[in-house]
Amino acid sequence: MSRIGVFVCHCGTNIAGTVDVEAVADAARQMPNVAYAGTNKYMCSAQGQDYIVDIIKEHNLDRVVIASCSPRMHERLFRKVLAEKTDLNPYLLEVANIREQCSWVHKDKQIGTPKAINLVAMAVAKADCDTQLFTHEIPVTKRALIIGGGIAGIQAALDIADAGFPVTIVERKTTIGGKMPMLDKTFPTLDCSACISTPKMSECEAHPLIEIKTLSEVEKVEGYIGNFDVTIREKAKYIDYDKCTGCGMCETKCPQKKIPSEFNQGMSTRTAVYKPFPQAVPSKPTIDADHCRMLTEGKCGVCAKVCPTGAIDYQDVDRVTTERYGAIVLATGYELIDWTRLYGEYGGGRYADVISGLQFERLVNASGPTEGHILRPSDGTEPKTMVIVKCVGSRDPHKGVPYCSRACCMYGAKHAHQFMDKVPGGKCFVFYMDVRTPGKNYDEFYMNTLHEGARYIRGRISKITRRSDGKLVCLGEDTLSGNVVEVDADMVVLETAMVPPEGAKKLAQTVNTQLGPEGFFTEAHPKLRPVETNTGGLYLAGTAQGPKDIPDTVAQAGAAAAKVIGLLCKQSIESNPMVAHVDDSKCSGCGACVDICPYSAVTLVEKTLRENSRKVTRTVAQVNEGLCQGCGACTVACRPGASDLLGFNDEGIMREVEAYATR
Amino acid sequence: MPRDNEQTGEFTPKILAFCCNWCTYAGADLAGLNRMNYPADVKVLRVPCSGRVNPQYVLKALQSGCDGVLVCGCHPGDCHYSTGNYYAKRRMMIFKRMVEFAGLSPERFQIRWISGSEAGKFRDTVVEVSEQIRALGPMENDAPSRAAIDAVAGTVASPEADEELFAAAKEAI
Amino acid sequence: MADVQDTIRERAAALLSSGEVSAVIGWGAGRFDDVRFPLVVKRAEDAGKLVFDASCVQMTAKRLLEHTGEGKVALVARGCESRAVNRFIADHQLTRDQVYVIGVPCPGMVDPATGETLKRCAECQVRNPVVHDELVGDPVPEPKPYRFAEVDRVEAMSREERRAFFDEMYGKCIRCYACRNACPCCTCRECFVEQDKVGWQGKAFNVNEARYYGMIRAFHTGDRCIECGECERACPMGLPLMVIMHQQVRDIDKLFGPYEGGGLTDSGPDPLRTYKTDDIEEFM
Repeated sequence: MSRIGVFVCHCGTNIAGTVDVEAVADAARQMPNVAYAGTNKYMCSAQGQDYIVDIIKEHNLDRVVIASCSPRMHERLFRKVLAEKTDLNPYLLEVANIREQCSWVHKDKQIGTPKAINLVAMAVAKADCDTQLFTHEIPVTKRALIIGGGIAGIQAALDIADAGFPVTIVERKTTIGGKMPMLDKTFPTLDCSACISTPKMSECEAHPLIEIKTLSEVEKVEGYIGNFDVTIREKAKYIDYDKCTGCGMCETKCPQKKIPSEFNQGMSTRTAVYKPFPQAVPSKPTIDADHCRMLTEGKCGVCAKVCPTGAIDYQDVDRVTTERYGAIVLATGYELIDWTRLYGEYGGGRYADVISGLQFERLVNASGPTEGHILRPSDGTEPKTMVIVKCVGSRDPHKGVPYCSRACCMYGAKHAHQFMDKVPGGKCFVFYMDVRTPGKNYDEFYMNTLHEGARYIRGRISKITRRSDGKLVCLGEDTLSGNVVEVDADMVVLETAMVPPEGAKKLAQTVNTQLGPEGFFTEAHPKLRPVETNTGGLYLAGTAQGPKDIPDTVAQAGAAAAKVIGLLCKQSIESNPMVAHVDDSKCSGCGACVDICPYSAVTLVEKTLRENSRKVTRTVAQVNEGLCQGCGACTVACRPGASDLLGFNDEGIMREVEAYATR
Repeated sequence: MPRDNEQTGEFTPKILAFCCNWCTYAGADLAGLNRMNYPADVKVLRVPCSGRVNPQYVLKALQSGCDGVLVCGCHPGDCHYSTGNYYAKRRMMIFKRMVEFAGLSPERFQIRWISGSEAGKFRDTVVEVSEQIRALGPMENDAPSRAAIDAVAGTVASPEADEELFAAAKEAI
Repeated sequence: MADVQDTIRERAAALLSSGEVSAVIGWGAGRFDDVRFPLVVKRAEDAGKLVFDASCVQMTAKRLLEHTGEGKVALVARGCESRAVNRFIADHQLTRDQVYVIGVPCPGMVDPATGETLKRCAECQVRNPVVHDELVGDPVPEPKPYRFAEVDRVEAMSREERRAFFDEMYGKCIRCYACRNACPCCTCRECFVEQDKVGWQGKAFNVNEARYYGMIRAFHTGDRCIECGECERACPMGLPLMVIMHQQVRDIDKLFGPYEGGGLTDSGPDPLRTYKTDDIEEFM
């Protein structure tokens, strides 16, 4: 026999206006196991809390039902009251929602009161089956893993490391830095992108608490918040970084010189042993195994001959390590949509002078393939008329992606500005759907570009054809005037959509989190938990979460770092006690729960149990309480109900059902 | 609780709605916050996830006095626990077909996906289900008519099923 | 079948005397000519007691679970028993190395009461063992008879008639749990019906409680049913229990298929233990 106390809240007139709270308390007194029922004006107020505490002591109550607002509102508060001010276990509490789901949706007491009584009866029935639950301490490994070494990953790594926690950056390319060092200037201030990003890269390299693993990928993640066991594959670089001094001898002598440079977007070439750009970090080369003649054909070996320190190692193999981290930040960035595959009307990549925005960045960059001179890739002449097409792929659900890529309006304006700046007398036409400039000093920048003479035409380009004289004929419509517009351009720049990087889906499965329909990682709450994921200890930074520009990326990386630091500075964290629990005596080890668990929290283990005064060793399911999030999907798959969800146990729900059905 | 409204004599159904904590329960709270009005026939039972709803609860509810059961969860793909509602969907699809095969009126057991922001959909669902069940009347109305009983009489068990054995068993139990 | 029976006896004796298996599970003679019972033979000299003829109506596979931990046990397995073996393995109740399967293609058994083919054999989809260590006798043809005739009949009824059908069926149920005990999918250590505290199943003897038992048991086994029909055969009241199993099997096959009867392999997730993000949506 339990002794349940029922506390009915007036919530001023919020509840009492349409529910006769005294009648509810009267009815509650007649319910089984109810030892006390009373009302209070505001149960959540200090005075209301004291009332609950006093009554619990006075009437020696062992269960509490509070009929008030939604449990999503104040359940936590009332639990805290029980934990701090009474001897009751805080989980011996049920909240009957008689405000949001009763008094607020019904107009008079005739309807509200009987419904409230029903809701209280259900809560009373469930409370009777509640058991004491206890949290336990999960130790926290004070190290963070950053997946992705772009500006988001770098910023997060620096912030976390500066707070005193070791950080590992896993980067799949040969250098950290991501896309930012490829950019020429950043809007709206036009400061040199490489000049502000490469110092951060070297800061990472020099930081005593930051370890950088390039050419590496995360293969497996096991464990849970505070204790992730992460398996990382570091691919063979064929160069012993302990010996290599980064002198660059190998690069100058490598006979394979015709490989398109990824860093310059295919507009220049590199060697097979290479550093993608001079300020790359780590500032040591790697051998591209797909193009190295020694590795593909077994003959050459020039680099090994010229290397003064003997650092070249053609026998190098992948290294796989498993280490434990307390938190993981996903900073996997973005890729640009492959417009050549989608937009045949823009030439589908057949016209050399139709380039992407990122290619333009390299063209206009002083360290790029043309040393900063804007020259047509086809013939090396200076274009006099340039067309910029925005929203290529973005906001185009039929061909590309439905969302806005957020940064293109601004860098489109920047490209127009840079063109007019570098090509005196040059004409620039910008085809746009909308101009979106919601950032500090952004609209001013756009207005400036307009004043400099960029012609903005509202409409999409429908077709680009190349005339025999090399001109690109761009056909579009000015939707404001309704006129057909035809521009003979020397060069066309397509501002293409940001899309999730290849492998995001696989990574989501590896780290056990979700992707949105567009393929970016899903945050725990779009407004209130923007850098967390639904998986504890897993955070998001930068464009991994969705398209954004550099300021937003850096801000979010800092926010993710703050969350990580907040976690890592704890010695331990409290577990959620409302998790699945397996009754060994009922469990036949069939493994249904193992198949179902989305968190891999259930495993089959051999256990020695005492049954009928005998020791028996059997296979039973076991729940890892750190991993279990308490969804209860396994409990339904468990036919004998051996797996039960603490806090929402089968018995409690069945009683709740019966309390309503038979009342 | 009286089954019929004392004043009007109108039948008030008992409908139990299993709602997941993260979507539908939040949607129901939002309906309250927006002061939407809907019939009091539906009472919400909070579960962490639609994947926690055991079909056994549903049958228990329908057999012990409820006139209808509603199971609600997040839209597929939006589950707080990522996959719970996908399992719920499969289970409920099979279970619903089975209970309907066994003669339950389909309206008495329904499943809906209602997100935390769909307060209007929650209200509409409650109104719709409540009206459907009011039209059907109490659970007892599901019982077969004499004609239906006669139509299937004798076609169920094989002829050699022993009346005496049944009587003896009933006696013994 | 006499040859097959001789070979079974020979092989059983050989397996037992070589010590490869500790027991052989098959059938033995009953008190009457047309009655056979499951028989567990542990000594080679008893192998001659094994019988295999058209009266072996019981499904013996579940006996295996009574002998785990006694070393390898041989099972004389027809299509249905072999599928049960796969079922046990999938449910982690047995490992493949714990059982030696003497496969026997089965031409179908005879119902001693009517003298006709046993109902579960008349609906059988898999007469030849799907798993075996050795095969005794030649494979038999697989006629794959239509097994949903009863489902069709009930489905064609009006809702009220269906309700009347099941009222009558569950009204006759005496809740002896013979169906559960016979079922190769029912391998729980403690059945939900016996858990008084949680209160799944009431104790009252009425159609509602019988319906609760019958339907929940059907749901528990629905996505794993090997369609052996042993529940129906074991039912002392002669209730058409397979109708609700076949109905589920057909729905699962249609919705999440293919599910051409369970137990064809010992792996693969059961339909209700998995999902596809593009499962059809009918609950919007």
